[in-house]
Amino acid sequence: MRLTALLAMAARVKVPPDYRYGTSRPWTVGAQRMNPPGKKRRKVFVEPIQPEDWSLFKGDTVEVLAGKDSGKQGKISQVIRARNWVILEGLNTHYRYIGKSGEYRGTYIASESPLLVREVALVDPSDRKPTQVEWRFTEEGERVRVSLRSGRILPKPVVQRRDGIVPEQWKDGPKDTSPDDALEKTYSASLKTFEEEIAGATGVVETRAGRRTFWY
Amino acid sequence: MLGMMYCSKMAATSAGRALSLCRQFQKSLSISTALPLQHTNVLTSCKAQLSTFRPKFCLLHINNVGTSLAQQCRALHTSQWRRGLEEFFDETPNWGEPTVKSGAPWTAKQLRTKSSEDLHKLWYVLLKEKNMLLTVEQEAKRQRVQMPSPERLKKIERSMKRLDTIVQERENALRLLQTGQERARPGTWRKDFLGRTFWYRFKEYPIPWYLNRRYKRKRFFTPIFVDSFIRLRIESHLHRKILKKKADLENKRKLQEQFSKLSART
Repeated sequence: MRLTALLAMAARVKVPPDYRYGTSRPWTVGAQRMNPPGKKRRKVFVEPIQPEDWSLFKGDTVEVLAGKDSGKQGKISQVIRARNWVILEGLNTHYRYIGKSGEYRGTYIASESPLLVREVALVDPSDRKPTQVEWRFTEEGERVRVSLRSGRILPKPVVQRRDGIVPEQWKDGPKDTSPDDALEKTYSASLKTFEEEIAGATGVVETRAGRRTFWY
Repeated sequence: MLGMMYCSKMAATSAGRALSLCRQFQKSLSISTALPLQHTNVLTSCKAQLSTFRPKFCLLHINNVGTSLAQQCRALHTSQWRRGLEEFFDETPNWGEPTVKSGAPWTAKQLRTKSSEDLHKLWYVLLKEKNMLLTVEQEAKRQRVQMPSPERLKKIERSMKRLDTIVQERENALRLLQTGQERARPGTWRKDFLGRTFWYRFKEYPIPWYLNRRYKRKRFFTPIFVDSFIRLRIESHLHRKILKKKADLENKRKLQEQFSKLSART
């Protein structure tokens, strides 16, 4: 096997088909403690929601319909598709200690618990009440979420990129290609192969005839 | 840098010929600095002559004492770039920084609009950048510190992969048009000694198959005594298929039970 393929395999985390997904990512230490390789847990049934019907995104404002904090509105901070979970900022919390070492009991913090997608509802920005949402197409052909009660379009929330880059404020570095150069079209279709075109451009003339080879 | 090969032995008869060739080559090199594009033309014509004569390679004329070795080596460059080993390292302002800014990788859509020459040049630019980043990574491992902005390597690798995909796409299209062959590498369906059918990809050999002893030792047929085991394998495959179908139906039933109950409640 190719060395690069082997290294890539080692880097990727292999997850069994009956893996129980939790709030930590599978490659973290916490997740490995919860799901060590030989452990088999009771199967959790996750409602099958098609990818095109999914309407909750990170940064959306939703209202909680069931649970401890029902009636409260919050922003989604994390979405876990494998379990149909959403984690809201500061809602549905329980308290625990972290950073415990030796005799020190650690810091007492509020940690959020995940909520199922059926237990939350998107909030209509016009009247700030929870609504049911459907995917529809606009006049231009754009696929958008539409509130069923008022008909208002719910725009997808703009989330800041993880690397902190704002595309509008980007300035090219010395090694970056300018947008004009990157989008410039230099391709012209021809019946020459890649190698023939390069040879033609650099003036390489191959006069040697290769020795006879056999393919089997 | 191109390897330097000196005339080690100059036999009496070929000395004059070799010297004249070297002098021709020197002349071509002196023209080259003025006209970089034509350089390669002259280089290849000289190379062709050299190959027909088969002398000991003489790319440098060592009788020229006035110029230093480095200067003579510099004259051998086939491009206009004149930098040395410093290309393996990042720019000096970036040394010691915890993060280095880098732009987005090349997308397949952008690369499809580029000509073959542009793609060829871009490949080598990306390759050199990749070598530089790998050096930085190795040095960081040696110093036991974090590599600054490791996402740069991923971006380069993705760009190179996409470039390769585009070149393959174009090659595939041309081959399909001109020959109708779907695959670049020939192959065929064969049975191995266990009765399994697999796609055997051909290899390139210098000798025909009936002279290749190692190839003749390979068996692409199934002996008769394996038939009973093939039958068992088919049985087990069918059994697993039925079990999987049953498991899927059971799963579907349980899901419907759970989630129809839920929807009934709400």
